[in-house]
Amino acid sequence: MPDRPALTETELLDYAQDVLPPEDRAALEARLAEDPAARATLAEWQRQDGAIRALYDPVAQEAVPDRLTDILRRAAAEDAGAEPPRRSGRRGLIAATLAALALGAGGGWLARDLATPSAAAQSLAARAMGAYATYVVEVAHPVEVPASEAEHLTTWMSRRLGHEIRPPDFAAAGFSLMGGRIVPSDQGAAALFMYDNAEGQRITLYIAPQGAGQETAFQFAQEGTTQSFFWMDRDLSYAVVGSVPRDLLRRIALEAYDQLI
Amino acid sequence: MKVLVEIEAAIPALRRYARALMRDRDRADDLVQDCLERAVASRHLWRGDGPVQAWLFRILINRYRDLQRRSPLPGHLVAIEDLVSEPAQCGGQEGALALREVHEAIARLPVDQREALLIVALEGRSFEEAASLLDIPKGTLMSRLARARATLRVLTGRGTGAEVVPGPSRGRR
Repeated sequence: MPDRPALTETELLDYAQDVLPPEDRAALEARLAEDPAARATLAEWQRQDGAIRALYDPVAQEAVPDRLTDILRRAAAEDAGAEPPRRSGRRGLIAATLAALALGAGGGWLARDLATPSAAAQSLAARAMGAYATYVVEVAHPVEVPASEAEHLTTWMSRRLGHEIRPPDFAAAGFSLMGGRIVPSDQGAAALFMYDNAEGQRITLYIAPQGAGQETAFQFAQEGTTQSFFWMDRDLSYAVVGSVPRDLLRRIALEAYDQLI
Repeated sequence: MKVLVEIEAAIPALRRYARALMRDRDRADDLVQDCLERAVASRHLWRGDGPVQAWLFRILINRYRDLQRRSPLPGHLVAIEDLVSEPAQCGGQEGALALREVHEAIARLPVDQREALLIVALEGRSFEEAASLLDIPKGTLMSRLARARATLRVLTGRGTGAEVVPGPSRGRR
């Protein structure tokens, strides 16, 4: 028999998963017959699978704890009691806000300085990413004021920051507002809005007053998997933070920029 | 509402996967609870594109990753010296793996390898489904899977895991 190339991991994985067409499978089996190491590996993988299923399959047979089924009971009761909240009303409100904010959105900001972030900008990114890390993992109280109290949220944030602050709408990017909270910044109170998408990914928008009156282009920071686009514009500075693909985060940041001008 | 029925039907599989990921029963159920609350809260937004169960797994995995970012548990990274000093009990190749040992070894796998191994070996997902649920390319999934299996083999004292040539495919480190 001529020497055949040793079986690769990819080939073995495909074989073990049984996804090969019959011809390829037969050819691979012929090589497997001459490759004791690969056969041993396959056998070991089967033992691993057996052990994993023996360990955890029984979990699926356990009675489901009440605290989990209760979530569905409550939801079913809500649905039975009232029509689900219609989105259109909220959409209309947001559309009106959008129209009001669209005025004055100028071009040309991309051409602004792309220099190294200033100390103030670096501090902004660090504050915003710190706030994200603190609250995005929060299960019970991710936000202080939920999106359902939108008017209260807007009034409260605007009063604390001394500027009119409205959360932008990221529905086009698949994210909806969960709510907001007040967090610290170098210049006093800052607003932190949290959004999530249907798959439970969360992003935050951090808005802080800035004393310097700087204007900057978009700048980018990354720490581990957490990424941020941030910029300064007249009286306020902004940072969008998340652990989502960079293109998506950039799109959200652009939405925020367009809507917040 | 139909989606609620489908969510409820997915609970056993979600609990199984969460338990294998987290080990601790209460923390695993906390993760499932969080996942269910989020799913139920956005049930009216769900557009019905694809199976409910896949949607729930994506939520669960995203929340799991959030938790890992906050507090990567000690022991989830495998130190090199642990890998080489593992007693080589190669004598019992044919025997069944000790479940306890496998349980410990899975907990010591790096998070990305553990996610990949369990979604395929425990949940029986195809490579394509698994890659989509974990939001990674298929090549990356396969290389994580191969590394997970090799690491598991070493951690359970059953060889070096190096008998097989790494694949020619991309995605292999």
